[in-house]
Amino acid sequence: MVLILLTLVFLLLRAVPGDPVTATLGGRATPAQIEAAQEAMGLNDPLIVQYLQYMGGALTGDFGNPVTDPRGVVEIVAETAPATMELALAGMLVAVTVGILVGGLAGRLRDTPFDIGGRLFGIIAYAAPVFWTGLLAQLFFAVKLGWLPSSGRAGGFDQPEWITGFYVLDSLLTGDMAALQSTIEHLILPAITLGLLVGGIFIRLVRVNMMQTLRSDYVEAARARGLRERNVLYRYGFKTALIPIVTIMGLQFALLLGNAVLTERTFNWPGLAQALVDFIGQRDYAAVQGIVTFIALVIVGVSLIIDIITGLVDPRVRY
Amino acid sequence: MSTENVDAAGPVRRGPAPGEPRTGLRARLSHAWQPFRRASRVSRVLIFSGLGIVVFFLFAAFLGPLLYEYDGTQYRVEVAPGQFEPIRALQPPSGEHPLGTTRDQFDVLGRIIDGASLAFAVMALAVSIAMILGVTLGLLSGYRGGPIDRALVTAMDAVYAFPALVLAIITAFALSAIISPGVIPAAAAVGVVYIPQYFRVVRNHTLSVKQEPFVEAARSMGAKERTVLGRYVFFNVVQTVPVILTLNAADSILVLASLGFLGYGVPPPTAEWGYDISRAITDVPAGVWWTALWPGLAIVILVTALTLVGEGLNDVINPLLRSRGKTGPKIEPAPREDTPADGGTAAGAAGAADAGQQSGRPSVAVRGLRVGYRTPDGPLWAVDDVSFDIYPGESLGLVGESGCGKSSLGRALMRLMPPGGVVRGRVEVAGEDMVGISESRLRNKRGQDLGLVFQEPMTRLNPLMKISDHFIEMIRTHKPKVSRAEALEIARTALSQMGIPPTRVESYPHEFSGGMRQRAMIALSIALEPKVIVADEPTTSLDVIVESQILDIFGRLRSEEQIGLLLVTHNLGLVAETCDRVAVMYAGKIVEIGPVDQIFNDPKHPYTRGLLASTISLETTELHSIEGYPPSLIDPPPGCRFAPRCPYVMDHCTDAVPQLAETNPEQRAACYLYPGAGAPVPEGVRAPEGNPQETGV
Repeated sequence: MVLILLTLVFLLLRAVPGDPVTATLGGRATPAQIEAAQEAMGLNDPLIVQYLQYMGGALTGDFGNPVTDPRGVVEIVAETAPATMELALAGMLVAVTVGILVGGLAGRLRDTPFDIGGRLFGIIAYAAPVFWTGLLAQLFFAVKLGWLPSSGRAGGFDQPEWITGFYVLDSLLTGDMAALQSTIEHLILPAITLGLLVGGIFIRLVRVNMMQTLRSDYVEAARARGLRERNVLYRYGFKTALIPIVTIMGLQFALLLGNAVLTERTFNWPGLAQALVDFIGQRDYAAVQGIVTFIALVIVGVSLIIDIITGLVDPRVRY
Repeated sequence: MSTENVDAAGPVRRGPAPGEPRTGLRARLSHAWQPFRRASRVSRVLIFSGLGIVVFFLFAAFLGPLLYEYDGTQYRVEVAPGQFEPIRALQPPSGEHPLGTTRDQFDVLGRIIDGASLAFAVMALAVSIAMILGVTLGLLSGYRGGPIDRALVTAMDAVYAFPALVLAIITAFALSAIISPGVIPAAAAVGVVYIPQYFRVVRNHTLSVKQEPFVEAARSMGAKERTVLGRYVFFNVVQTVPVILTLNAADSILVLASLGFLGYGVPPPTAEWGYDISRAITDVPAGVWWTALWPGLAIVILVTALTLVGEGLNDVINPLLRSRGKTGPKIEPAPREDTPADGGTAAGAAGAADAGQQSGRPSVAVRGLRVGYRTPDGPLWAVDDVSFDIYPGESLGLVGESGCGKSSLGRALMRLMPPGGVVRGRVEVAGEDMVGISESRLRNKRGQDLGLVFQEPMTRLNPLMKISDHFIEMIRTHKPKVSRAEALEIARTALSQMGIPPTRVESYPHEFSGGMRQRAMIALSIALEPKVIVADEPTTSLDVIVESQILDIFGRLRSEEQIGLLLVTHNLGLVAETCDRVAVMYAGKIVEIGPVDQIFNDPKHPYTRGLLASTISLETTELHSIEGYPPSLIDPPPGCRFAPRCPYVMDHCTDAVPQLAETNPEQRAACYLYPGAGAPVPEGVRAPEGNPQETGV
C-alpha cells in the first residue's frame, strides 16, 4: 500500500512532461541557474534512478527540499502538520458525534419526520461547500455576534509553549488555561464546519447500518427472548451497526483531510494543507511532492490504526 | 418413514400468472415502474423532488443565457450602438440586477446561469472520463486477471484511499504542465477521483461471470466469450451504475467548486461558482452578502437535488434498504369481534375447535388467530382463522408447503411481527392473551413462558457478545434478583444439558459451529423453563447427526420438564419421529389436525393425502405430485382454498369455507367430503381411505 501510493505520487508529479525547475523558477533564473538546479535535484538522472532515490528518501524520512523555501519539507511538515491534525481530529469528533446521534436515531425512527429531517440534514451538510458554510459561520458568529474569533489559531500571548504542536495538548501540559481557552475558541468554528460535512456522510452510513442491523436475525431473536427494547436497540442494533462504520472511518479521514485544505484556507488556519496549496501556487514541485508523500504516509498510518481499533472492538477479527 | 420435503409436492411451474401484464409500451412502463411502486413513498418523493430541481437547473443552464439579458462575463451594457456604459460594481439586488452585481462589475444572476452551464459541462465530462476509464480498466483487470489485475486493484485502492480533493488538486497541477487550464483539464482532474468506483464494480462482475457455467456453455456452443461476458457484465452493472453516477455527478460539482475556490479550476473570468465565492470573501465583512450567498446556495441546492435522486434510486434498487411492510394500504386495527365469542376460557372451549388428546389445561391455547401483512396490492392474511392447543409435554407438528403461513404462525404466538404485520385473535399462554396484553407484559412472557428456536442458528446470536452474556442478559432481564454468578451457573447447566462443555460459556458465537450454535440457542430458550418452545425448522441447516441430537434434546425436555413443543417444519419425517399430533396448513388455514399415526396412516383431507403421497419412502414405487400451485393469499379463492387443485372437488366446495369436521375421534379435517364441514355430503360421494401411498390419493 505504502509503496503503491508513493509510486503513484511519483508518477503523477515526476513522470508528466514538463520541467519542474523551469516551471518553478520560470523567467526568474538564468539558464545556468536552471541547469544547476536541475543537477542539484537530480533531474538529469534517468527516471528509474530518480524513482529509487525518491522512494528511498520517502521511506527514510527524507522528503526533499523546496525550491522556494529555505526550510526542508520535514521541517515544514513538523511545523504545520500538528495544526492540521488538531483540526482534523476535532472535526472527526464533531462528525462522529453528529453522525451517530442523528444517524442512529434516524435509522431507528425510519420513515418518520425525524428520519426524513435527519436524512435531509445529512445530505445538505454534505452538499454545502466547506468554504461557503465557513464563510457564513464567520459572518454570523464572529462578525455579527462576536462570540468567536473568525480565523487563525491561538496566537500572540495566547499561544501555548510549543511542545507537540497540538495546542490543546500543549496548553494542558503546561497548565496554561488562557491558552487553552483561546485555542478552543479558535478551533470551534473550523472544526464544526469541517465536522458537519463529514458528519453528513456519517449520518447516511450510520442510518443505513442501523436499519440493516435492526432487521437482522439476532435482533429478532433478542426480541423473542423478551429483552428490553432499550437493550435490543443499544446492544444488538446500535453497537453492531457501528462496527462497519469503524472499518470505513479510514476513508472518511481521507475525506476530512481533503476538505481540511478548504477549511484551512477559509479560516486562515496555518496547517499543512494550506502550505501545500501555497507551494502549488508557487509551482514548487519538490515541496508539493514532499508534502503529498507525507499525506500518503498519514493515510496509510490511519488505515493501520483503524485496523487495530477494529480488532479491539470486534471479537471476530483477530490477528 | 420418508424424510422428503413437502416442497416437492407442488411441481415448480413458471407460467404467466393470471393478470400478468401483456407486452407493449404500457406494460413495459408498468414493469419499469414496479420497483418504484414497491419503494416507500418517502423514496419516491425524494427522487422526484430531486429530479424536479435538477431539471430546473438544466433549463436555467441551457435556456437561461437566451432569456436573461446579462452574460456572466459582461461588465458593460451597450446603451446605444457603439456606446457602452459599465455595470456598477457591488450593487445590491434590484429590479435591474435581481441578485446584485459583483466587485468585478458582473451581474450575479448572469454568473449563476453561466456557472450552471459550466457545472453541467464539467459534470458530464468528468463522469464520462471516470466511467470510460474505470469500465475499461475494470474489464481488462477482471478479464485478464493475474499480475495486471493485482497491480490495478492495488493502484485503484490507493487512489480511492487518497483524499479526493488533494488528488484533484494534484492532477490539475500536473495537467497544467501539459495543457493550459480550461474546462477539459478541470473535468479530468475532477473525474480521476471517481475512476476506482467504476473499476471496482465492473471488475468484480467480470470476475464473477468468468466462473459462471453458462459462459463455458456459450463458448462450447461457439458463441464469442467476450460477447457473452460483455452482455452479462453490462446487465449487472447497469443496476448499480445509476446510483454511483448520480452521486458522482453531485460530488463533481463540489470538487469543481473547491478547485475554483482554491484557484486551480477553470481560469477566470469564466463564471464558476466556487471561484465567485472566493472572490466574495472580502465582501462579506463589508456587509455585501449577495455575492457570496447566491453561488453558494446554487451549489447546495443542485448538489442536494442530485444526491436526493441518487439516494432515492439506491432505496429503490437496493432491496436491503427497501422498507418492509410500509407500502400499500394499512390494515385496520384489530376489531375485537374477530375473536370467537367463546373467548373467556379458551381452554374450556378447546374441544370445539380442536380435539386435544389430553385432558387438563393446555399450555398454549390458540383461537381464531389471524396474521396479516401490508403489501402494495392490499392486505395479505398469511394465517387465517386458526385454532389449536398444545398441552404440557405435548409436541405438535405444523407442516405445509413453503408460504402456507406456518412460520408466520410460529412468530405470531409471540406477537413477533415485522413492521406492518398484525396479529388478531387469541393466543392464551399461562392464562394471558399474548395478542391483547401490553408491550411490557408481552416482553415478560417472551423468553419466560414461550421460547423460540429459529431455523438459521448462524446469525441468531449477537456477534459482539459472549455466549455467557446472552444468558446473563436474558435471565437478569426476566429475573432481576438472580445474581450474575447465579445466572452464569444456569447458563453452564443449560449448556451442558445440550452437550456443550460448560467451559465454552465464555466463547463468542463465531467460535461455535452451526450445530453448537443451534444447541446454544435451544439452551438459551429453555434456560427460563418456558411452558412451550416454538421451533421453526430447527434442524434444516444442520447435518443428520446434529439433527438427531437436537431431537433427543426436545424429547427429553418434553418428558422431564413437561415443556410443550410446536415444531414448524416442512419435513414430514421429522414430524413422524418427534410429534404426538400434527396440524397440516394450506394457504393460511389448518386443513387437518390429529394424532400423528392417524394422520399418517389414514389422512382424510385430500391435500394431506396428496402431501403424503408425494413424499418418498422405501415402498414408493411411483412419485405423486399435486397439480397446480397454492393460491395468492391477497385474493384467496372463495370457499375451500384447495378446491382449484383438489381431485375430489364438488360444486359446492367453492361456496363457503369448510369447517373442521370430526372424521375420527381426535382427528379433524376441513373438507366437504365429511359430514360436519358445513354442508351435507352429496349422495354417492365416497371419501378416500387408508394410506395414500398404498391406496392412492
